[in-house]
Amino acid sequence: MSSIHQHEQQWIEGQPTFGGLTDQVSALVENKTPRGWYIALAVSSSLTVVLLALIGYLVTRGIGVWGNNIPVAWAWDIVNFVFWIGIGHAGTLISAILFLLRQQWRTSINRFAEAMTIFAVICALIFPSIHVGRIWFIYWLFPLPNQMSMWPNFRSPLLWDVFAVSTYFTVSLLFWYVGLVPDLATMRDRARTRLKKITLGILALGWRGGNRQWQHYEMAYLLLAGLSTPLVLSVHSVVSTDFATSVIPGWHTTIFPPYFVAGAIFSGFAMVTTLAIIVRQVFSLQNIITVRHLENMCKIMLVTGLMVGYAYGVEFFIAWYSGNIYERFTFLNRAFGPYAWAYWIMISCNVLVPQLFWFKKLRTSIPVMFIAALLINVGMWFERFVIIVSSLSRDFLPGAWGYYKPSWVDVGIFAGSFGLFFTLFLLFIRFLPIIAMSEVKGILPQAHAAVDPSAGEHHTRRS
Amino acid sequence: MKPAEYHLTENPRLQRWCGGIGLAALLLCAVGYAANPVQFHHSWLAAHFFVISIALGALIFTMILHLTGATWSVPVRRLFENLAAPMPLFFILFLPVLSGVHELYHWSHGEAVAKDPLLQLKAPYLNQVFFAVRTVIYFAVWTFLACRLRHLSLQQDEGDDHSERLRRTSAAGVILFALTLTFAAFDWFMSLDAHWYSTIFGLYIFSGCVVAGLAAVILLARHLQSRGHLVETIGIQQYHDLGKLLFAFTVFWAYMAVSQYFLIWYGNIPEETIWYHHRWHGSWKVVSLLLVFGHFLVPFVLLLTRWAKRNLAVLAGFSIWLLFMHWVDLQWLVMPSLHKEGFVFSWMDGTALAGCAGLYLKYLGWLLRRSALAPVGDPRFEEAVDMNR
Repeated sequence: MSSIHQHEQQWIEGQPTFGGLTDQVSALVENKTPRGWYIALAVSSSLTVVLLALIGYLVTRGIGVWGNNIPVAWAWDIVNFVFWIGIGHAGTLISAILFLLRQQWRTSINRFAEAMTIFAVICALIFPSIHVGRIWFIYWLFPLPNQMSMWPNFRSPLLWDVFAVSTYFTVSLLFWYVGLVPDLATMRDRARTRLKKITLGILALGWRGGNRQWQHYEMAYLLLAGLSTPLVLSVHSVVSTDFATSVIPGWHTTIFPPYFVAGAIFSGFAMVTTLAIIVRQVFSLQNIITVRHLENMCKIMLVTGLMVGYAYGVEFFIAWYSGNIYERFTFLNRAFGPYAWAYWIMISCNVLVPQLFWFKKLRTSIPVMFIAALLINVGMWFERFVIIVSSLSRDFLPGAWGYYKPSWVDVGIFAGSFGLFFTLFLLFIRFLPIIAMSEVKGILPQAHAAVDPSAGEHHTRRS
Repeated sequence: MKPAEYHLTENPRLQRWCGGIGLAALLLCAVGYAANPVQFHHSWLAAHFFVISIALGALIFTMILHLTGATWSVPVRRLFENLAAPMPLFFILFLPVLSGVHELYHWSHGEAVAKDPLLQLKAPYLNQVFFAVRTVIYFAVWTFLACRLRHLSLQQDEGDDHSERLRRTSAAGVILFALTLTFAAFDWFMSLDAHWYSTIFGLYIFSGCVVAGLAAVILLARHLQSRGHLVETIGIQQYHDLGKLLFAFTVFWAYMAVSQYFLIWYGNIPEETIWYHHRWHGSWKVVSLLLVFGHFLVPFVLLLTRWAKRNLAVLAGFSIWLLFMHWVDLQWLVMPSLHKEGFVFSWMDGTALAGCAGLYLKYLGWLLRRSALAPVGDPRFEEAVDMNR
């Protein structure tokens, strides 16, 4: 890790001491539960109940209660799946790739971004699971040895999804937990009730913060970061093959894997930005999650937004260039057909809105970035809607064309998934430290005090 | 600090020979052109792009380094700038391709278009005039960016601070670069098979350029250091980081290659698979497999280790190897449209490469001698050099 120099940016404002930082972050968990938290939890858990009730309804009545119908056999369920999985990409990107790129600013946001990843993946997993229809046979997704020698189709991208997403979930969870260990130990040492002491003590795995432990910890963290990096790219690449391995115009196109990954990071950062703005405001963390952190996230949204725009453009151009009448029709139909409204929502939110971030004034303005991030999330949901529904609703056989409309169950389940997401997030911010205290301390100037000031040598945490 | 650290004064013999070899090779190419114009133009297209891809990779990296505000890379940035700067030369060297459109591209044959409804649909894009106009635009953009970035950076050596202007140029430049390189890839390589199309093709070409640019910068830095320059400026940390990037973009190349191959294989639509079918025919099969192993699997496994990235001889070896693989990749992209039965090495492949590379190296040597070898005036320069101590 590079040595720290005077003019290098200080990411944390107000020059907190180590102790001050611990106090500030731990207080959020140790203080009396604020009333607002109960109100928020009441709302989000009510929505979760809606989700569970509607899933029960869906399982008993069958997936006919959704709006899905031939030719649109994949609709909101898959849209929501891809939407949530995409959001789940920012956390691991921040914790793994930005770690490998030595981006110190990640420390202020990585903890809750990783938590968000895990909750988003949980929400995502609901949709394909209930879409299978007979959920009691869901274990058939796994290649379990059985007397009938019945196996899932290993050449099916739907099976790869099972592996890719479950691997991603496992590794993200492990990564998050490993990062939590030193902070759990801090909380354990501060705990006042016996129950908390024991619970946190078990979770902290006997962490004492010795030199040896830190060495192992940092190596484990580096290895996990290395292992997670290909996962960030692979999961959404595999998700993209759900579509791209087919021969449906608008789905079958070679740019899909990197384009989906860019879109996932784009939407993930939009969600992290949304949550970060709320969290820092509500819990007065403006000194830890500074405007400069948010500005960096805006820059990443600008870059990934441009990548997504590039993919839209190239797809459109190649559809024309191919000379293939089906390709050409599909794209003209997207832009000017019955779903043109969805297409132009997508273009405005994903391509035009991020252009605001070219201007420093706008990308450092909290209200602007908050609204922009929300719009990007809307746009990214519509991107999946456009890809999935517009391509299916008008396929090769004009006689089979139709117009898809969601049912109230579709809407309810999607809203309910937000309830689940925010319920989990609220529980997280109440019970776990939402800022990676030990990592933030690592980038404070006093962590890099010169070993021997007279020699002008720099202490490096990791070389 | 020795004066040689930042200044290249002598004109090494190798350097002097480059120009002569290049010109001699060009003369041989002219003979080849007279003997077999079709072979000449294919050889020239592949050789020219092999050399310009180094410059293009260096150009995109210069811009990325400005945009990310990285400190570690400041000592090597001038090398990227210099590698990118000979763009006007590449435009002149591209003229044979413009004159050989008829030899290279099926879509330029009027009688073929008349019989082919697909080519008629594409004619508004794939026609000789628009092709030439686009090519001029690509070179204009690249020349402007490469020269401006180098020029501003040189002014910083004199004490001005142009960081903000460099960042602004790079921000707009990255977008212009992405668009021009994508369409250049479509025009020059994808349209060799005018029926075939792939949306990822621009990114595939881009990934090859970046690998070539990184490999070249590592070799150039090693070469200069072996002659006693930049010895205290570029340290093992920079090589390690460049090695990591070389590794990362080798993987990125494979990611692009696999995405394209895999989706076409799985979709199994004849109008798409035909392109790979040509590349699985005769000895092209061996070349395809060589790319899988040589451009990805072997470098992936070996460059993964910290040892390989910090052992300068090994790192330089990999850089040479990856440049070679990049050359193979370009042969694999261009030549199956000419030699359908298998890989054929023509002497014109050699002379075209020697011609383009010779003049490029001559130009590069001249640029290197004209200014400091590192951006000594960059506000972050001192700090970056300090990191090596």
